[in-house]
Amino acid sequence: MSSMREIKNRINATEKTSQITKAMHMVSAAKLRKAERAIKAFRPLTRRLSRVLGRVLAADRELTHPILEGRPAEKTVYILVSSDRGLAGPYNNNLFKAFEKYVEKHHDTKDEFEIAALGYKAFSFAKRKKYTLINEEVIQVRDDVQFLDFQSITDEFIKGFLSGKYDRIMVFYTQFVNTLTQNVKHQTLIPLHDNPLLELEEEETSEKEYKTIYHYEPSAGKVLQELLPMYVVNLLYGMILEAKASEHASRMTAMKSATDNAKDLIQDLQLHYNRARQDAITTELTDIIGGAEALN
Amino acid sequence: MIKLVVVTPSGELYNETVDYIVVSSKNNGDFAILKDHAPLISAIDVGYVKMVQGDKTLYTVIINGALENQDNLINIIAQEAHVGLNKDSAMQHLNEVRQERLEENRKRTQDFLKAEKELRKNIREAQASKR
Repeated sequence: MSSMREIKNRINATEKTSQITKAMHMVSAAKLRKAERAIKAFRPLTRRLSRVLGRVLAADRELTHPILEGRPAEKTVYILVSSDRGLAGPYNNNLFKAFEKYVEKHHDTKDEFEIAALGYKAFSFAKRKKYTLINEEVIQVRDDVQFLDFQSITDEFIKGFLSGKYDRIMVFYTQFVNTLTQNVKHQTLIPLHDNPLLELEEEETSEKEYKTIYHYEPSAGKVLQELLPMYVVNLLYGMILEAKASEHASRMTAMKSATDNAKDLIQDLQLHYNRARQDAITTELTDIIGGAEALN
Repeated sequence: MIKLVVVTPSGELYNETVDYIVVSSKNNGDFAILKDHAPLISAIDVGYVKMVQGDKTLYTVIINGALENQDNLINIIAQEAHVGLNKDSAMQHLNEVRQERLEENRKRTQDFLKAEKELRKNIREAQASKR
């Protein structure tokens, strides 16, 4: 059995760690609430934007745009939405595992795709695996993430898609279900194949008897040209917000269990400590008694 | 009276009634929307919306946005927007905020990499002393 002092030291160390994990748990809980608020605040914008887009598309069925149409995918861009920091339980690892599995199934060589890494963890993962990266610098996914933060990368892949450099853009992110459940999901960002916008508009028009005819400034085609990239970026932003909430939830759960484990460990160690102390006392007593007896 | 709603990613920025608005953008010049304007959809790349109500005038500068007008209800969807009393100062403010943000991001990345490097060095040293 280890000495009393050793056990005491370990108890102290564990206590300190549990204090830190407890604090992290609370911070994550607060941040999660904030992230959930951000998602809620963002929803009206997506809804309105898709409504406007749906109207433009429904007005003229002939209207089309490369972003809407699919083409054989020779080169794919995968956007990995990860976190900057670790200690978030299996959050990043799950994503990377799902991604590797997917790549193994769908690609023969690493030349068939490129990676757009959002967050430091994804960046270093891609570097480690020697994947081709679009972004040369780390793009941080801050807690208060804004469009501006990842604008450089969205410009890059939208331009790349329009020029024919890339044929498909896919996102891997973690969908937020609730505090305990987060799922890794992958979704095609470009092209917007199975067009959810058009369906949306059809529902609306069936309710109304007549259709409003809109004017477009300067023209429907031009408006579409502007709106589609914006819509894509908005979709991505929504996913990032979800991923952010998932990160905090994941970290929260991880820190909660870490704190609980620390508590168990301390209890266990305390038992050992008490036993060791009792042991020491007994030894001391026998020593004294033995000594006294020897004197007699 | 026209109802005007400006939405940004962080929620509603502006929700008031106005007399008329003037939309000015880089991609398609200026136009005004008065009461009972025909339904209209337009995109704004970089520009501003002048909102007039009585003798009060406000400017909303917009980067990447869309505008929809129907039944005297104007919806403006903007990725980034800022309301100000003067279009130049509002634009300047928005640009400054953006610049600052980019600068901060750059700095954070640098700090992060530096910290990471230091951490690696420390780990290496700690392991070296173990052997």
